[in-house]
This record gives sequence, C-alpha cells and structure tokens, in this order.
Amino acid sequence: MTNLLEIEDLSVGFRTPRGNLQAVRNATLTLAPGESIGIVGESGSGKTVLSRAVMGLLPSTATRTGSIVYQGREISDLPRDEVRDLWGTGMAMIFQDPMTALNPTRRIGSQLSESLVVRLKMDKGAARQKSVELLRRVRIPDPEGMLRKFPYQLSGGMRQRIMIAIAVSCGPELLFADEPTTALDVTVQAQVLELLDELRAENNTAMVLVTHDLGVVAGHTDKIAVMYAGDVVEYAPTKRLYASMKMPYTEALLNSIPRLETPTGSRLPVIEGRLPDPTKEVAGCAFADRCPYVSEKCRAEKPPLMDAGDGHLYRCWFPIGGVN
Amino acid sequence: MSETISTADSADTGPLAPAAKRKRPVGFYLAGSWLGSIVLLGLFGALLPLRQWDLASYDYLGALPGTPGHPLGTTQDGYDMLSGLINGARISIFVSFFAVLFGGGIGALIGITSAYFRGKYDLIVVSIFNIMLSIPNLVLSLALLSTLAYSSPDKPATLQRRLIILILSLTIVIIPILGRIARASALQWSSRDFVVASKSMGTRNFTIIRRHILPNVAPAILAIGFLAIGSVIIVEGSLSILGIGVPGGASWGSMLANGRGNIAFSPHEVYMPAICIALTVISSNWFGDYVRSRLDLREAKI
Repeated sequence: MTNLLEIEDLSVGFRTPRGNLQAVRNATLTLAPGESIGIVGESGSGKTVLSRAVMGLLPSTATRTGSIVYQGREISDLPRDEVRDLWGTGMAMIFQDPMTALNPTRRIGSQLSESLVVRLKMDKGAARQKSVELLRRVRIPDPEGMLRKFPYQLSGGMRQRIMIAIAVSCGPELLFADEPTTALDVTVQAQVLELLDELRAENNTAMVLVTHDLGVVAGHTDKIAVMYAGDVVEYAPTKRLYASMKMPYTEALLNSIPRLETPTGSRLPVIEGRLPDPTKEVAGCAFADRCPYVSEKCRAEKPPLMDAGDGHLYRCWFPIGGVN
Repeated sequence: MSETISTADSADTGPLAPAAKRKRPVGFYLAGSWLGSIVLLGLFGALLPLRQWDLASYDYLGALPGTPGHPLGTTQDGYDMLSGLINGARISIFVSFFAVLFGGGIGALIGITSAYFRGKYDLIVVSIFNIMLSIPNLVLSLALLSTLAYSSPDKPATLQRRLIILILSLTIVIIPILGRIARASALQWSSRDFVVASKSMGTRNFTIIRRHILPNVAPAILAIGFLAIGSVIIVEGSLSILGIGVPGGASWGSMLANGRGNIAFSPHEVYMPAICIALTVISSNWFGDYVRSRLDLREAKI
C-alpha cells in the first residue's frame, strides 16, 4: 500500500527578534490512507506547528525545510495557488476553538455552503441540500433550521460539529484535527471523537490528531508520535506504545493523567520544570533537566532516533526497559 | 454551565450579538430627528412653496426673523434666509455625504487589503496614511482645493465644477482617516481562526475579505463615518469662510462667510447657519457615538 503522506526531515523555524525559534526539528512521519496518527506533547512542543506546516498554513515569518510528499507528489515547494487546490478537497483542518473558528456575522448555512460553492462549484440549491445532509451526518437535530442560525446561538459542542461538517464538506482524504476536543467538556469530547471515527470510517479518511491528552489518542489512533521541544521523541503503533513505552517523557505524560483509582487527597504527579528555551540549541537531550533517569551522557550528547523494532522509534540513551 | 459561557463568548466576539432591548438615550432620538429632517429638507426642500433662495427681494433688506413672507428674515442683500438654509442643507449634506462615502469606500478597500496582505504593501500604505494624517485636515484640503480648482483660468468655475472638486479634495482627506480605522479593525479580524479556517478550505483571498473580514469591519467604519460627516461639514464651512469652498452663499459655510460683515446689523444672518452647522455636527457625533457604543465589543452587555 502506498502512503498518503510522507513527511521527511521536516524542520520549521520562526524568525523572531530574539533569533531563530526552532519549533520542529527533523520530523519524519508516514501516514497510510485511512490511517490515523496522534501527535502528542505538552504546549509548545511543536505539534500544532507540525500539522500546520504540512498544510502550508504557516505565517510568513516561518521557514520550512524538508520534504512533504502527499499522494506521491512533493508539495513542500509548490506555489501557493497549487497548494490551495489541495486544501479542502485533499486536506482539511478542524480547529481547536469552535468559539473563534466560525464567523460571528454569518449564518451557519452560508458558512457551511461556502466551500461547496467556492471549491466544488455547486449551485446554491445543491449546496443547500448538501449542507443539510452534512449537518445530518454530524448528528445535528433540525438541520434545515440550523442553516438559518448564527454561531452565537449554538453551544460549544454544536459549533465543533459544524466545524467538522465544514472540514469534511469537500470530502478530504486527510483531516488535521488540531486539539478538536480541548475546548469541550468530557462527555461532549467523547461524542465528537466518536463522530470523527464514524465519518472517517465511511470515507476512509486519514487523520492527524493533535492533542496533549494521551487518553484521547489511545482509542482513536493507529499510531502515535510524541513530541518534545520540537523533536519527535517517540513514534510507535498505539498499542505498542502503551504496552512498552521507551521514553521517560511519555511515561511522565501518562502518569500525569488523573485516574479514578488514585486515593482521594493524593497529589497529581506533574512533570517538574519547563520546556527549554526554543531560541537556544540544547547540547544534549532536551528533556534532561526534567528527567528522573538523567545521567551525564544525556546532558553531553543528543540521543539519535533509535529503533526498537516493529516500527517503534525513540530518542533516549536510557530507555525504559533497556535497549533491545 | 457551558451554555452561559458560550453566550458570553458570542457576545464578546459578535457584532451581531442578540439585540438587547436597551433603552435608547434621548440624545439618540433628538440627533436622529434633526439629521432626518435635514436630509428630508435637503432632498425635497426644492418642492416647498418658498422663495427661490438666490432671488433677492429688494423690499426686504436685512429683515428680521418673523417678517411676513420671510419667516426667518432676509440677508442685507435681500435673500430669504429660510430657503437659503434649506438649499444650504442640500449642499452641505450632499458634499459631506459623498466625500465620506467615497473616502470611506476607498479608505476601507486600501485599509482592509493592507491589513490582510501585510508585507511591503502594508508598509507603504501605512507610511502614506501617516504622512497625510500629519497634515491638519483644513490645511490639506485647502492645498488640494487650491491646486485642483484653479488649474485653467479660461474656464469659468461653475458651481457644479466647484462642488465636484470640493468633494474630490475632501474625499482625499477622508481616505487616510477611515482607511486607518479599517486597517486597525481588519488587522484584528485577519488573524482570527475563522479566516484561517476558510483559507484552509481553499477559499481565495478576495472571497475571504468580502465574506469574512468586510462584514466584521463594516460596523467600525460606519460608526467613524458618522463622526466624519460632522468633521467634513466643519471643514467645508471653514473652507467657505476662507473663500474657496462653495461660492455665492450656496452652503451654510458660505452663507456665514457672506453674512460675516453684516453681523452688527443683521446678526441672524450669521447665527442661523452657524446653529445649523453646530446642530448637524453635534447630531452626527451623537449618532456616530451611539452606533459605536452599540457595536463596541467591550461595552456589549450580555
């Protein structure tokens, strides 16, 4: 099977007054059609930048190197117009905050049919019919009435469904979901994720799910890339990652999820310290200052990406469970 | 709980937040009715059975208000004040409305595109705006008017030509004022998620500007536009007083200019157009202020 998306050696930096801010370093990922990958990491680890870099939605201060192959075609050096032809019909994005990602001055119907009219050249009647069908697919009650509503009349979960309907309206093959559930409460989160899974199954859509919640990705992805300070530090099939994680950082992330069985009153484990300054290059492992297993070698030399077999890659000198 | 948060949020982000049934201030009605009657008189005043404004009656020179046949008196030259004021309303409203309409339209176009595309284009636009804004309105329009109006001495300066040139130079004065407002507002909206979202669906830039940015920027331009109408009336009046605006007592400002010398004998010749200018400016300011506060996101009540 040929891959839908192949990212190789993708690096993204931003020119800032304080110098070059390296947001993503040499990321290499692949995605097959219909597959879903979770990109996990704390705030500032580069996961959003990575997904936007693939789409080509970076601000003008960003510099991007490396190769992005989409459907066997190199798209990283395509002119703007040709990349735009891929947007919507090839790749689409679901945004994090449904409160700000809808235009407050326009009705749902006109926002939903916009890309249908602009991209698929549908006439008004067909676009309206398709909009109703899309709203029905994202389980919105009374789709006809919904077309006339303004975003302020809807709750967060409803708006996120609308966002999803817009993103899938042109039948994309690859869906970027940038923290699609972060702004929602837990019960709605689960519904939205299930909805995404159903839609993907219907059309065999691949998905890049960006989140900081390892609990969210566990049930909804085929593989996971854990990012830390711009590096992909662990990359493995989802089941394998949870069964035998190698990176101390992944372990620390997992430990900081609150669980039902922890006794009342006990403190939630946190990862002490903070991310290193992204405008400075770190000599050794970027996680060294926060790692419980740190040793001298970690500070002196940056670990390369190592292979544990079965497509499990990690970036640590002293992985959990030892080197195979 | 999430319901309350979402309503709060929408009121913060949406100019079309639910129209709360708030009591409008008395000033709004006063300002609105004054502006409304001025516009109506300007449009349909010529149909009223009044004397022609530019036809002097030599039986009544400098008649006081209340004289039969001349309810607001006449000037020292025998022109009827009431019909003069009504004609002046037409000219003043006409000039300021079109100057703000054209200036606002062009300014908004330049301001929004410069905020949306940024880069060198934005830098050039901002520099030109700043240079233009650093020159006082009156001085700039004076310079524009005197260079544009008197280019060919053979051609007689008709009222029509003078009006067109007056509107043109006031338009140029208005462009950077409203353009800067449009740019500031568009700058804020251009980085919103829904603009990026629409872009990520492959929508073209000008479609995004038309559908997503313009509707959000329009209220700000509208509110400042009302304020600008007031300023333009003042600038037009000042130009007329200086003798290069509308000639021959056709606008309020030029009525003032003509009557200035007679202030000792017929003060109504001066204070009547002055009151008209003042009331119109105050009304458009109030009206603009009301529109602004009604749409101002920080003041929006939930």
